[in-house]
Amino acid sequence: MIKLEKVTKEYPGQTAAALKDADADIAKGEFVFLVGPSGSGKSTFLRLINKQEEPDSGRIFVAGKDIGKLSNWKVPMLRRNIGAVFQDYKLLPTRTVGENVSFALEVIGRPRHVIGSQVPAICELVGLGDQMEKYPHQLSGGEQQRVSIARAFVNRPLILLADEPTGNLDPQTAIGIMRLLDRINKTGTTVIMASHDRGIVDTMRRRVIELSGGEIVRDQARGVYE
Amino acid sequence: MALRVDYLAKETGYNLIRNPSLTIATVLTVAVSLALLGSALLIRSGVDGLNVRFQDDVEFIVWLDRDATSEQVSIVERALNDSPLIADSRYITRQETFAEFQEFWQDSPEIMASVEPERLPTSFRVIPTEPDLEVVEALAAEYRLLPGVKEVDFAGEFIKQLNSFTRTASTIMLVTAAGSLVASSLLMYNSIRTALFARRREVEVMKLVGASNSFIRIPFIMEGLVLGVIGAGFSVLAVFGLNRVITRSVEEAEIGLFDSFALQQSDLLPIALWLLVAGAAIGAVGSGFAVNRYLDA
Ligand SMILES: Nc1ncnc2c1ncn2[C@@H]1O[C@H](COP(=O)(O)OP(=O)(O)OP(=O)(O)O)[C@@H](O)[C@H]1O
Ligand SMILES: [Mg+2]
Repeated sequence: MIKLEKVTKEYPGQTAAALKDADADIAKGEFVFLVGPSGSGKSTFLRLINKQEEPDSGRIFVAGKDIGKLSNWKVPMLRRNIGAVFQDYKLLPTRTVGENVSFALEVIGRPRHVIGSQVPAICELVGLGDQMEKYPHQLSGGEQQRVSIARAFVNRPLILLADEPTGNLDPQTAIGIMRLLDRINKTGTTVIMASHDRGIVDTMRRRVIELSGGEIVRDQARGVYE
Repeated sequence: MALRVDYLAKETGYNLIRNPSLTIATVLTVAVSLALLGSALLIRSGVDGLNVRFQDDVEFIVWLDRDATSEQVSIVERALNDSPLIADSRYITRQETFAEFQEFWQDSPEIMASVEPERLPTSFRVIPTEPDLEVVEALAAEYRLLPGVKEVDFAGEFIKQLNSFTRTASTIMLVTAAGSLVASSLLMYNSIRTALFARRREVEVMKLVGASNSFIRIPFIMEGLVLGVIGAGFSVLAVFGLNRVITRSVEEAEIGLFDSFALQQSDLLPIALWLLVAGAAIGAVGSGFAVNRYLDA
């Protein structure tokens, strides 16, 4: 589903590469943790997959297609197949839960009747079926992250990228979010999640890719944090 | 993927009311600069009309010295009759001059009372074959030199001065308009940039979930177009208003000379159309630059 071949990324003005000669092959339906110290290149890894960043060298394939060869106007099509979730949720404060989720469908031109049926269903799935009229500031951190997951998943993407989705949450809430991501993964969605959370990585026992200074230093099936 | 009209209207509308002071400033600047442009165009077409009018009834007057001898008068008359450039000339006696004078000043008896017919000059009314300002000027210069001729008057002199004055005025207005058009484009650019900044979270999310580039851009371009066209609309009102004021004062003046400055609706419409097109162009250019500068992937 996702394949990196000798991918190197260096940010302008930075001396060391954020990602160096990275090779990885992630199959459809896998759940992969990206671990490593701060600045090791986890976010860069994720941002390269949905073309928020361009690699300096190497090739990246998504669903068999070399995304480096994708013309600009096709990038939105790629992103419609890749949901993204962040530590800071990125919710729109002036929109309700329901509106935040339906925004993702509205802006890709989905017809109204599709939005009308999908949005309540996905809100139900993430456990916020009865909170659709609330605004983000009226929700807890965990609930806000559920909204952001609902928004990322409402279009049923093939891939879900999660950059430290539990980074701002207490352990108990984090477990709830992990259950949700696990459920999404069980629907066949490939999930790649960057995490600092040793407890979570060790409990889940999924594939772990460890980065250090931009290099992949470990790639282990059913791995642990360290 | 088709852009939904209701979405577009909602987004554009929201952008417009989000920052009222900037919206008003942008609309006003566009309106003022286009009003200047429109007024300059208005004056230009007035001047063009003036020239057309002048060509319609070219006539000049050779005033004779009060004590010109009859010999001198007949020399002038012969010169006029012999010239191939002159279609017709007519001698105006003292009595005829006095009659015209009386008619002209009939509302001011005190001026009439102060004039004695025998002190008025006589003259020739001359119609040249060529209704051309240059030719008339040359003729006037020629006859001015003849003995017994006091002065040669022709409307052209006045029209020429008026012409160059109004042309200078409208050129200054055009230059000022060009300057303020640049200013309004820059303000437009800033206005859209501010809109982009205010909506950067939305834009970020839209990009992440895969909204197409045009879907993201069109509401901002629309905002620019709407601002530009509203501003142009105000400038059209201003130009129509100015034309009304001019029309009224031309009618009051009762001198036909300035009639060409009062434009008919049908002459105003092209100007109005140009202003609306210019307004839309300012909006498109300003927002286009802002969007390209700040939305590139
Ligand atoms: N936009 C950027 N411009 C310049 N350098 C950047 C940029 N983003 C990341 N970097 C640098 O690239 C390296 C890798 O950053 P990245 O964000 O991928 O690390 P990370 O593993 O996600 O770290 P963290 O755990 O703190 O989120 C770091 O040295 C960082 O300073
Ligand atoms: Mg990171």
